[in-house]
Amino acid sequence: MNALAPTGGGGGGGTDDLKEPPKRGRWVPYALLAPGMIWLVVFFLIPMLVQGGTSLQTGGLEKGYEFTWHFSTYWDALQTYYPQFLRSFGYAAAATVMCLVIGYPLAYAIAFKAGKWRGLWLVLVIAPFFTSFLVRTLAWKTILADNGIVVDVLNTLHFTDVTALLGLTEGDRVLATPLAVICGLTYNFLPFMVLPLYASLERIDPRLHEAANDLYADPKTTFRKVTFPLSLPGVVSGTLLTFIPASGDYVNAAWLGSPDTGMAGNVIQTQFLRVLDYPTAAALSFILMLLIVLMVSAYIRKAGTEELV
Amino acid sequence: MSEQQRAGASGDVNLVGLSKSFGSNTVVQPTDLTIPAGSFFAVLGASGCGKTTTLRMIAGLEEPTTGQVLIGGQDVTGLPPYKRPVNTVFQNYALFPHLSVAENVAFGLRRKGRKDVDGPVKEMLELVELGHLGGRKPAQLSGGQQQRVAVARALINHPQVLLLDEPLGALDLKLRRQMQLELKRIQTEVGITFVHVTHDQEEAMTMADTIAVMNGGVVEQLGSPADLYESPRTKFVANFLGQSNLLDTRITGTSGGYLLMDVHGTRMALPVDRTAAQGDQVVMGIRPEKIAIQHASAADSNGNRNRIDGGVIVDSSFIGVSTQYTVRMPWAQEITVFEQNMERDHRLVPGAPVVLHWNPDHGFGLAPEPATASAAVKA
Repeated sequence: MNALAPTGGGGGGGTDDLKEPPKRGRWVPYALLAPGMIWLVVFFLIPMLVQGGTSLQTGGLEKGYEFTWHFSTYWDALQTYYPQFLRSFGYAAAATVMCLVIGYPLAYAIAFKAGKWRGLWLVLVIAPFFTSFLVRTLAWKTILADNGIVVDVLNTLHFTDVTALLGLTEGDRVLATPLAVICGLTYNFLPFMVLPLYASLERIDPRLHEAANDLYADPKTTFRKVTFPLSLPGVVSGTLLTFIPASGDYVNAAWLGSPDTGMAGNVIQTQFLRVLDYPTAAALSFILMLLIVLMVSAYIRKAGTEELV
Repeated sequence: MSEQQRAGASGDVNLVGLSKSFGSNTVVQPTDLTIPAGSFFAVLGASGCGKTTTLRMIAGLEEPTTGQVLIGGQDVTGLPPYKRPVNTVFQNYALFPHLSVAENVAFGLRRKGRKDVDGPVKEMLELVELGHLGGRKPAQLSGGQQQRVAVARALINHPQVLLLDEPLGALDLKLRRQMQLELKRIQTEVGITFVHVTHDQEEAMTMADTIAVMNGGVVEQLGSPADLYESPRTKFVANFLGQSNLLDTRITGTSGGYLLMDVHGTRMALPVDRTAAQGDQVVMGIRPEKIAIQHASAADSNGNRNRIDGGVIVDSSFIGVSTQYTVRMPWAQEITVFEQNMERDHRLVPGAPVVLHWNPDHGFGLAPEPATASAAVKA
């Protein structure tokens, strides 16, 4: 315990450089940091280093693996599986946009219009979490089944004709198409969008709406100039909380998609558990992580880091 | 109807039978009120008296249950707030936290489609002495500065009426005094009708030309600060604006424009025209500073002043410019007396027997109302 604590403090940002005031209870911050630090070191940092090592190994199951600084695994993996990466980010982006489109009005209604029913609505938003992720995703298989009510209605409305033109569906089917995967992702990650949006909308002082009204802004302008800008922290954290896990997801693509809709997560799973090509699987994991970090930091820089919820 | 016809000037505000109920709870009883253009009008009352609701109905932020709001003779009752020629300085200011001070001030002009806002914004910030802070965010300003931004943001639109909802409530005492004078200066400078809602009687008296005292959703009395202070017409007004001693009396007759009355066995007089009550039960009020106090042994006949013998000082506190005495009457009521510190009589200490007397013309007569009679039976 004691041996680890200073490591944690050092990692937390130069606490050691400070002049130490001879105060009692100086160990308290370290003690508070320790559980989290130990957890992260044992279950995140060490596995990641091991993984990094694995990605640079060569060999096979029979002969065993050897550490050879074999960086070209990365290049080969990227060249072979770039379609899956593109799909991952494409589907995740589409699902994030859908979540925002569905989630913003929902969060807005809960924050400003639900009155005493707020609590109930929030419970309903997180209610899906009471059931297993897998069960919920499987349920979508039934919902989107061929000749099911949903697909019949979409066909009758010629909705599937439009999505087929966009390459999101094939023929009269929805299941086993990109649309099905995007729907699954949207459904599964919607609460991650709604909750931060709600939190930032709910914090807006209703008197600011009155002030805007008083200063000649009609309801539309009030939303555009006051409500929406003030909810931006929620939009940023909601999109991050949706996009990041969605781009690493493989369950939705596995259950609701087809071999043609595989995402990066599916490839990693296959490489690890079926092909047993550990170096490639590890390299793919690192590539996914790096790409997400790059995209997210670019996004945050653009959206502004201040006041992130 | 006559209300509507009189409402000619551009900044007049007329309330016609205006009331507001939330469910079965009537917050503002039907009220008729005319606020003349260019005046500094204060609505004064304790919290929950309906003053803020009245203001919000003028702004359009609250829909009246009955009645009309007319601004400059035009019925605006059905108009949403963003179509009314009024602006509001909100309690706690409600500045937009994501916009700079200059953009906060420019907000109204931009909504009206003005492109060249820089000049007016600069001018307005100069008026409130914040010319150098246009680039800051509201959170980087002190309370007093935020308050002035709120005033600038409203005034820049040249509204016909400026509504102020407890605008100084969040400031400390010293800053509040300073801002009172500042607001008064600005009002004189721009000449716009100000409607100022406050619970602070001193604030209302310092700033307003006319004060409406509200209590329980009703305007109890309307008048100039001096009017309200010298001739309150209800117990609530008598006690809300300054302090009053209230004495229960029984009318015994009239003589030469004066009511003659019996106050616990002592004969007193009160001008008929300063009495807002009818019948033989009248409560006589007298302000503490109008009462003279003398040691019992030094008291002379006092001519035809109202005079009470047999008082005993129970408490005296020295406040610098004056001394405040609490005197117990023979009938156990306690009366407060403020005495200027000119020639202090050192015999006036707790326990001393004293005589109180005052000019009958300084008293005022009120109707006895059991509901608000708490002060009269304080004893």
